[in-house]
Amino acid sequence: MIEELEIILETTSKILQKHVNHSLRQNIVSENTDILNLWNDIETNGLPKISVKEKFGGYEIPFFSILPLIKIVNNHGTPLPLSETILSNYILSESDINPPNGIVTFASDTKNLQIKDNMISGEILSVPYLNLTKNLLIVHELNNVKKAILIDEINGEIIHKKNFLAEPRYNIKVENLNIAEIRPIKNSIDFNFLGAILRSAQMIGAMEKVLDLSINYCSERKQFGRALSKFQAIQHQISEMAVELSASSAALSTITEIGLGEKNSNDAAILKIRAGFAAGKIIAISHQVHGAIGFTKEYELSYYTKNLNSWRNDFGNESFWEELLGKKFLEKNNKNLWEYLT
Amino acid sequence: MSKFNFPFIKETSELSNLRKEVREFITTCINNDEFTPSPDAWVFSADPSFSKKLGSKGWLGMSFPKEYGGHQRTALERYVVTEELLSSGAPVAAHWIADRQSGSQILRYGNEKQKSSIIPRITAGECFFAIGMSEPDSGSDLASVKTKGTRTKDGWKLEGRKIWSTGAHLAHYMIVLARTSPASEKNRHEGLSQFLVDLSLPNVKITGIPDMTGQRHFNETLFDNVELSDDSLLGEEGKGWKQVVGELALERSGPERFLSHFTLLDSFINEFRNSLIHSGTKIVGKLISEIQTLRRMSFSVASMLQNGESPETQAAFVKELGNKFEKMMIETLREFSNIVPLHEWPNQLQNLFEDATLRIPSNSLRGGTTEIMKGIIARQLGLR
Repeated sequence: MIEELEIILETTSKILQKHVNHSLRQNIVSENTDILNLWNDIETNGLPKISVKEKFGGYEIPFFSILPLIKIVNNHGTPLPLSETILSNYILSESDINPPNGIVTFASDTKNLQIKDNMISGEILSVPYLNLTKNLLIVHELNNVKKAILIDEINGEIIHKKNFLAEPRYNIKVENLNIAEIRPIKNSIDFNFLGAILRSAQMIGAMEKVLDLSINYCSERKQFGRALSKFQAIQHQISEMAVELSASSAALSTITEIGLGEKNSNDAAILKIRAGFAAGKIIAISHQVHGAIGFTKEYELSYYTKNLNSWRNDFGNESFWEELLGKKFLEKNNKNLWEYLT
Repeated sequence: MSKFNFPFIKETSELSNLRKEVREFITTCINNDEFTPSPDAWVFSADPSFSKKLGSKGWLGMSFPKEYGGHQRTALERYVVTEELLSSGAPVAAHWIADRQSGSQILRYGNEKQKSSIIPRITAGECFFAIGMSEPDSGSDLASVKTKGTRTKDGWKLEGRKIWSTGAHLAHYMIVLARTSPASEKNRHEGLSQFLVDLSLPNVKITGIPDMTGQRHFNETLFDNVELSDDSLLGEEGKGWKQVVGELALERSGPERFLSHFTLLDSFINEFRNSLIHSGTKIVGKLISEIQTLRRMSFSVASMLQNGESPETQAAFVKELGNKFEKMMIETLREFSNIVPLHEWPNQLQNLFEDATLRIPSNSLRGGTTEIMKGIIARQLGLR
């Protein structure tokens, strides 16, 4: 499986190198043939169903093991919801729903959601890339049972379009929309945990790129007769980026290696806290060392930093997870901190 | 960035059992009043009899070979033992440097006589070391050391001054970095050598320097034309820089870089658990996430050392993050006094807190400053 994954990672890098460039990111619409071509290559190679069960035509590689793929996809700044599709399809497959072909996006938040006669009504919020697909996964609790709800003909009134962050996001109001599939989700699948892990892996892939961009820019740009990278003030700032990034990567590789079970459920919280914090630092420092060029639309840094800003708020920000983590420990009255940590 | 990976290393059940064993031993010691947990204990709290006890338990020189009295256990086993000792504030200062770096340095570079005469004593907890790097005029710029080693008819003559030398007044030996030939214009790192110096030799003078807490651990160590035997040279003449860089990787990557004030945090949480449930879950969660990430990284470096790698840069990452964490932790506790005013904290906790506040500036100086750590990282990133 490891070998199989390595081949997939290599193939993916090649596909993305071929298709993804900064101008592609400026025109994320379904009419853009370059976007369609990229998706076709991705789909032909089976990437959307990498963690889907074999009986549904997937590779059945565990979701936690494919996090390096999520990193690569976002290191290239791929302007398609491949990460969202991979997670959605994994959840569908684990819930015994055959994932549809094409892009599948998900909604992490809803308002006044009602389900009646296999139809759904209400507001579905902050849906990434809704303009590129008709397939949507909603995870919703109904009578104390968490359900995976698949809609394959999403249609409704767009009530808010957020586009100041890099990926397109939509709030949509739907009324009596047909549900394609609805099934209970296993207890072991926690959408919020998985989403937090997904966003963290995306952030780490993007932060690696931001660090590389900063190193390259500062090595080339000359001021006062020398490269910016020769100034100690710049060196120390970039070192700080590397330090924060390495801590996040360490937190991620724990989950990549051992997954997430009851025993180490804190690791998801730790990862999201660490990655979200690092993103804050890295966004600020990368823009500072880039100067005004980093603040232009034409230069690719902002594509990454806008996404980082978005992802660090998804599925709970640092405070959310810190409170969860702190509460969980403090309520175990019988344990002192060191015993708990070890 | 791939070169800064910190691969995940699992704590096996054998390691967990060892952890339990050490913890039980420590609990017994505390219950028998053999020591009082104290902060920054690996620097400030020396108790030779406790060190000897650890030696007899087999918890010193753990990874050293059996032929020199060691236990041939792994760096991961040593890591687990040091974590337990640090988190409980045990008095480990006497043997800390010998066990952490000097012993390994001697095993790696020393001659047979040095190994067979010293290593078994380190392992037994009977032989302590001080670090001989900084000088009055050389701190961060270590390659500028002026202490001089000159060849004589039967050995070497050592002349110069080392400063800070934590614990030198209790130590038996110091590994001294000295210049044995002039620096070349192109490379200042040439011409340095390391010496293994017996601190009881004539003309070695050790004077205490009280630190800002009023305690003594700092010293100035004067070598006033000290006659050294021929086999006092440690490793190769002129290769001192390369040797000292390896020694620093051992010095910087361990859990003492983030567990120095763990006893404070532990007492704080035990005291204020109820208030924290209402208004401090976030700060506790933040601290937990930091400690766990640091443990995870430091453990990974231990495994790199075990595999014979040279994780100097990774060690700098751990030290830099660890130092930042400890400062943040003390600041976080201070902010909590908004909820329970400081003067209402139990006396012992107030003392621990004030003590930590006083000592914390040293954490990002000792073992290499923040600026040096960032410089090492910048070099690896190709910026220098």
